[in-house]
Amino acid sequence: MSKSSDLIQGTLDLLILKIISLEPKHGWAIAKRIQQVSHEVLQVTQGALYPALHRLEQQGWIRAEWRASETGREAKFYALTRAGRGQLERELAQWERLSNAVGLVIRMV
Amino acid sequence: MRRWYDIVRLRLRSLLRRGRVERELDRELRFHVDRQTEENIAAGIPPDQARRAALRGLGGLAYVEEECRDMRRTALWETFWYDLRYSCRALRRSPGFTAVITLTLALSIGANSAIFSVIEGVLLRPLPYPEQDRIVRFFLSSAAYPKFPVNAFDFLDFRARNRSFGSMAVMTRADVQLSGIGEPQRLSGFRVSAGYFRVLGLRPLRGREFETRDELPGNERVAILSHRLWRTRFGADPGILGRKLLLEGRPFTVVGVMPREMQHPGNEYRPVAYGDTVDLWWPFTFEGDPNQRGSHYIEGIGRLNRGVAPTQAGAEMNGIMAQLAREHPDNDSGWRVLVIPLYREIVGAAPRLLLVLLGAVALVLLIACANAANLLLARATGRQQEIAVRLALGAARSRLIRQMLTESALISVLGGAAGAIVATLGVKALAAMLPAGFPRAHDIHVNPAVFAFTLVVALSTGILFGLAPALQASRPDLRQSLRGSGRGVTGGVRHLRLRNSLVVAEVSLACVLLIGAGLMLRSFVNLLRADPGFHPEQVLTAGISLPEETYGSSKARKRFYDQLVARLGTLPAVDAAGLGTDLPWTGYDDNLGGFQIEGKQPAPHEEFHARYHAASPDYFRALGIPLVHGRFFTEADASEAPRVLMVNRAMAQQYWPGEDAIGKRINFFEDHPKDKDWTTIVGVVGDVKDTPEKSAAAPAFWWPLRQMPFGFAVMTIAVRAKSDPAPLAGAVRHTVGELDPTLALADVRLMHQIADASVSTPRFTLFLVGLFALLAAALAAIGTYGVVSYSVNQRTHEFGMRVALGATPRDVLRLVLAQGVKLAFGGVALGVLGALALARVLRSLLYEVSAADPLTFAAVSALALAIALLACYLPARRATRADPAVALRAE
Repeated sequence: MSKSSDLIQGTLDLLILKIISLEPKHGWAIAKRIQQVSHEVLQVTQGALYPALHRLEQQGWIRAEWRASETGREAKFYALTRAGRGQLERELAQWERLSNAVGLVIRMV
Repeated sequence: MRRWYDIVRLRLRSLLRRGRVERELDRELRFHVDRQTEENIAAGIPPDQARRAALRGLGGLAYVEEECRDMRRTALWETFWYDLRYSCRALRRSPGFTAVITLTLALSIGANSAIFSVIEGVLLRPLPYPEQDRIVRFFLSSAAYPKFPVNAFDFLDFRARNRSFGSMAVMTRADVQLSGIGEPQRLSGFRVSAGYFRVLGLRPLRGREFETRDELPGNERVAILSHRLWRTRFGADPGILGRKLLLEGRPFTVVGVMPREMQHPGNEYRPVAYGDTVDLWWPFTFEGDPNQRGSHYIEGIGRLNRGVAPTQAGAEMNGIMAQLAREHPDNDSGWRVLVIPLYREIVGAAPRLLLVLLGAVALVLLIACANAANLLLARATGRQQEIAVRLALGAARSRLIRQMLTESALISVLGGAAGAIVATLGVKALAAMLPAGFPRAHDIHVNPAVFAFTLVVALSTGILFGLAPALQASRPDLRQSLRGSGRGVTGGVRHLRLRNSLVVAEVSLACVLLIGAGLMLRSFVNLLRADPGFHPEQVLTAGISLPEETYGSSKARKRFYDQLVARLGTLPAVDAAGLGTDLPWTGYDDNLGGFQIEGKQPAPHEEFHARYHAASPDYFRALGIPLVHGRFFTEADASEAPRVLMVNRAMAQQYWPGEDAIGKRINFFEDHPKDKDWTTIVGVVGDVKDTPEKSAAAPAFWWPLRQMPFGFAVMTIAVRAKSDPAPLAGAVRHTVGELDPTLALADVRLMHQIADASVSTPRFTLFLVGLFALLAAALAAIGTYGVVSYSVNQRTHEFGMRVALGATPRDVLRLVLAQGVKLAFGGVALGVLGALALARVLRSLLYEVSAADPLTFAAVSALALAIALLACYLPARRATRADPAVALRAE
């Protein structure tokens, strides 16, 4: 039962924020989307997804709402809050810095 | 803002609507599993396996649910707990640091809380009377007597004519002797007019309060007892009402008992302190000629109508006073009425003293903060590399600041908790040390308000001293810190500047306190050195009062006094025994006698006057008041002998400047005196001031006891012992009992206790401010030591190089000391300026010292510099031992 072992800690948050920044989605759709866009490379353990969603909600970055899904059944949709949008930008910038640095180190060594 | 609203809303929701939140979680996960199952089926997995696969993908439903619950519960708190645990570990790792910082904070926070609890009890807590802000005291006032008792008949007119007061009453001290049951006992008593308790807003627990009919002459033989007297002397007898008591040898009927809450509001003339200090009340009766209004000895108190301000009441009372002045021009002109809120009257001069003390402890707390900030900075510097790495790896700066603030808050809460203990002990000590007569002393307790204060102070302290280091440390110069150990670099310039200014601030605040303490010390020494005008050692004093019933005539009293003095004088251990109407330094009533002086005319609209007293021949010798000129009274100054008088030096100098007062004559009572009406001055004695801190004595004179025109019923015994005076108390009591077994002694005290009590306020202030100043100096020394020591550590390499290049240890020593002295100079300069600015506050607490006393300022500056030098010396010594070999090898 690995947690988000295949994702660097904190990166999952970034992915979630990024995905729902386009439109509100429910948990299953988010998991699906991560797999799709990463060409199945990033296998989100679905068990890690929901705690992450709940944490982000508790931190006020995202907001949940029950509404009809594509199948007509009610589902819990997550949307970015205004504060969440700011957070997404900060995390993106942070990510850029880190990946640049890591790239630099790898090239130099 | 919106985000915090969301966070709080969600938090409350998971807390209060747990069932609903749980159901939603269940629905959410079930939806996921169903969708995944559908997809699995669509992908060709058999339906029975499809669901199991979906569940497997989620990693166990229960597990996920638990994780989600965790997120809800602790998302915010988990970082806090993490920070807290981290901080605890960090503090445990450096126990010395933790101990020093917690101890200094505990002492300063505790001192603040202790002083605050005094302020809370004395100034902030309302008086225990219902709607106490409506109660006022009123006095008469003139240029010569700023605060004077009122006249009884004037009071009746005030009461009849005013519209501002709901009720109004007068009181005057009238102690009585209780006899007939057990040992005779002197009771602290007051005569009060009808409605006195209504003014205070209190009703008798049993019985009734005084009514207007009790004010008629002859109706005064009724009494209301205090709860304490009722309990202790009458065993809380439920049948007390109607019981007869023998007071002053006359029967009184008990008509009421006051509740336990009754507190005497304090009074001005022959004062009895605020508190549960009065045993019994009996009616004030209005006797004599209503047109004779020259006598003033009763004090006014009143309850204002709702919505009437004291100033409005004062204006109305002055209007009435102006009418009275027209109606009774002889007695009532020249007076104004003073209306003072009871609260202000009770707390008196305490606010100033307490605010000075609060200011002093607040300074100590500020210094402790600066000190803590300094220590934290020093530690943060040690952790600079760790912080830089964390920042470089992407830790948010806010996260680091939060972590460091958690740490300082933890320290301050530890300090606050220890401080609460310090405060609890401190308040007990303070209450025991409070000066004699301090208002509301028994209202001082550590209570929830004090603990709330402590908590607030502790937390704001933590933020105050934690913020600067946290901001500073979370913004390190990354390149420099990451490059290496900072070899050859004397620490960040910015960093050092902050630490230096903290030290300068500490030293300057400590200087302010030291200067304040120094001024108070000088003032106190002046007080002790000042000649009191008498010798308080080996003197026993006691009060005695003769009941009207058995000693109705002036003659009977004089006879009793004669016998008493004669017997006391023959006691074997007695050096001198005297009787007098007053004792030095025990307060005075403005008993001013007007008189004529032979051959002199007073200035227009003035009269000759001085304080009057009576004394037996040995009274002055017993108290050690020196004879300046002439002679003391003798046995020959009997009632039929020529009238004689003793005056003090102040009176001799005021009325006969440059002349010899001996042989001069005064007339007291006759408009057209015959030769035998004149009283001749036979002796001049030294001055005794009203209280030690008064700048000069008031003019005063004494009649011989046998010639005194009023048969004073209250006397003070003063006995000078050959050795220890304390054992004499029994002999004096026995002597009085032999003469009249129904008489009780009151206030048996040693004169040096009275003298001690009268300097207790300056002693108390000096002790506390001195204590705070020492604490401040120690803190500032630690701060200076810390900074210099740190910078020496940083510069070890540099010093090694210097030595290698030919510098002597002396040079290095001088270099380091110079750094510390520079800081100390800055601090002392600022401190001197600060103390000068604050001088105004101190002036009223000082005796014969200028608040800008150059000697004190110079001495304290020198002391502060010396302390700073000392604090630098240890690190400087270490610097001289820097090894040049090590430095060279490292290069």
